[in-house]
Amino acid sequence: MVDINKLREIAAEVISRDDVRELIGYRPGTYGFRARPAFVTGPEEVDRLIFTPACVNNLATYITLEEKLPVPRGQEPDTRKVAVMVKGCDSRALVQQMEEKAYGRDQVVVLGIPCTGVVDMARVEARFPGVLELGEIALEGGKFVLSFDGKVEEVPKDELLADKCARCRYPTPLVYDQLLDDEVARFADDDYSDIEALEKRSMEDKWGYWEEKFSRCIRCYSCRNVCPMCYCEDCVLDRINPTWMRRSVDISENTAFHIARAYHLAGRCIQCGECQRVCPAKIPLMELNRKFYKDVGELYDYEPGTNVEAAPLLATFSVEDREDFIL
Amino acid sequence: MAVKKLSKEKIGEALKELSKFRLIAPARSDEVVIFKEIADPEEAYLDYGNSTVPPKKVVFPQTETLFRFMVGNPELEEKNVEEEGTTVIFGLRPCDARAMAIVEKLFSWDYDDPYFLKRRELTTLVGMACVEPPSVNCFCPSVGGGPFGKEGLDLLLTDMGDYYLVQSLTDKGKKLEETLASQLEDAAGGDEKKAEGMAAEAEGKIRRSIKTEGIPEKLPGLWENDLWKKVSAACLGCGICTFLCPTCHCFDIQDEVEELGDGRRCRMWDSCMFSEYSLHASGHNPRPTRRERTRNRISHKYSYYPSRFDVIACVGCGRCINLCPVNIDILDILEQVVDA
Repeated sequence: MVDINKLREIAAEVISRDDVRELIGYRPGTYGFRARPAFVTGPEEVDRLIFTPACVNNLATYITLEEKLPVPRGQEPDTRKVAVMVKGCDSRALVQQMEEKAYGRDQVVVLGIPCTGVVDMARVEARFPGVLELGEIALEGGKFVLSFDGKVEEVPKDELLADKCARCRYPTPLVYDQLLDDEVARFADDDYSDIEALEKRSMEDKWGYWEEKFSRCIRCYSCRNVCPMCYCEDCVLDRINPTWMRRSVDISENTAFHIARAYHLAGRCIQCGECQRVCPAKIPLMELNRKFYKDVGELYDYEPGTNVEAAPLLATFSVEDREDFIL
Repeated sequence: MAVKKLSKEKIGEALKELSKFRLIAPARSDEVVIFKEIADPEEAYLDYGNSTVPPKKVVFPQTETLFRFMVGNPELEEKNVEEEGTTVIFGLRPCDARAMAIVEKLFSWDYDDPYFLKRRELTTLVGMACVEPPSVNCFCPSVGGGPFGKEGLDLLLTDMGDYYLVQSLTDKGKKLEETLASQLEDAAGGDEKKAEGMAAEAEGKIRRSIKTEGIPEKLPGLWENDLWKKVSAACLGCGICTFLCPTCHCFDIQDEVEELGDGRRCRMWDSCMFSEYSLHASGHNPRPTRRERTRNRISHKYSYYPSRFDVIACVGCGRCINLCPVNIDILDILEQVVDA
């Protein structure tokens, strides 16, 4: 577990630097076990920062999400750095963004948090419903310890752990300026057993499975907006003239949307699982993303978001590249 | 006329009777509860908290065709809502019914929206009182509703254990009672009184609240206040809070052209949290960042709507709080408005 005092001390140092504009971390949420993103602009604000297994958000998204207004005449744009706290998975988003040259390594200060896993908040809230006053979650000795309403409950780690953490290959951030704790060794991997089972099903069966899921989609685009890799300034989905994707919500357009999104993330998705976490319709989007991730690994021996110096998969070519699947 | 009751044993029979109409009820799709057209009474899932997507979509579909146009044919094929037929929404929550009554004020204001109003006319709302609050973030009493609220409903069912107490509230409700004559029985004399006690108890279980007094008048003066930047900093700009809101009613109208130039004009939900919602053809955007969009969402619900229609356009269902990916909490924002 990250020492909270050390975290705040380092945060205060970083935000006091002249070349740092803002620090993005976590703070307690508004109810129950929730935590939420915190945007710190001065050392006097660091006391609200936390890191616990409730800190599920991938803050790397905010690096590219900022909407910049035109700079008024006579003023210089603010080119100071943004500091961001990242878990292992989140750090891979930074790596991939930088691999794609979304911004330079010198534009961010990365505070790495070696991570032992975060909770699936939906599981927590299903297990302990109706908690309003702020509770706390800690991971101690292989168990989540939840303190709330004057009670303390222990739950085996695997019962509340987020699925992505149970498959995590990189618990320690792959890029950082400062690491806030000792490195955490890999404690899990993805065996793709569920994806392989899905691959083996008949076409008809697979369609039945996805048809039900996609038909629930309300096209709120939370999966796109939360995704650290969906940072196009002008998204194809928002285009009206020409309309590449109709705004109508029906099974045909919903399917087209999810297929398009999955393809746009092929060789880019870093497996943070945020899309699936935020989906109000509970569409298992990571099954699509993991299928592509598995294929990209098997076909091209490429793992997105692991090497800042690497070239993006779709920007490289080798005569040895497999192409037997091309019709 | 005596108050009626519906034995839980007869619920299947009652739903079967109602399925001669277009019957919409809560149902499960994986672990998500949605309102959908029910063919088999077994599909109905009445022991639920609240649905993810509010039943507003029944009277105000997310996408609807207004008319179709065909190449070489000057006639338009207009939508006839009447064809959808008499509809019953069974088991919706009082907040969601009240939301329909609130939104109706807009759809019947300067222009009578024929689609929405026709559907409202064709639809009978059978509510299910919230004996237990469906969510920790429910706050309906703060905005003028209640867990046993009747506004907008035609019938209200209350779970009394082995049976539902059936209170008819409108002529449409009475008509539906007649349809169900062979499934309903007379309720015991004290049941209505008992339900009143349950309503008070249910209201006592709702733990979140906000004092709304003064907020509508105060909001316009906070236009440039720093709070908007703070409360919107984490916003991702997705449509969860608006699409899942039972009172949000913004729509866009687009032409969708199919092969060979035939096509349709349709309207679909839009969200003021999307960046292109307020984007002008010139490229100018009067709400250029999430700060302005968040300010608009809150101001519309808590200031513009009440100043025009005398009612806050929020029913306290808590969906936007429960499902916001970054824990933006409308009550937290309103508290900051109060303190500002």
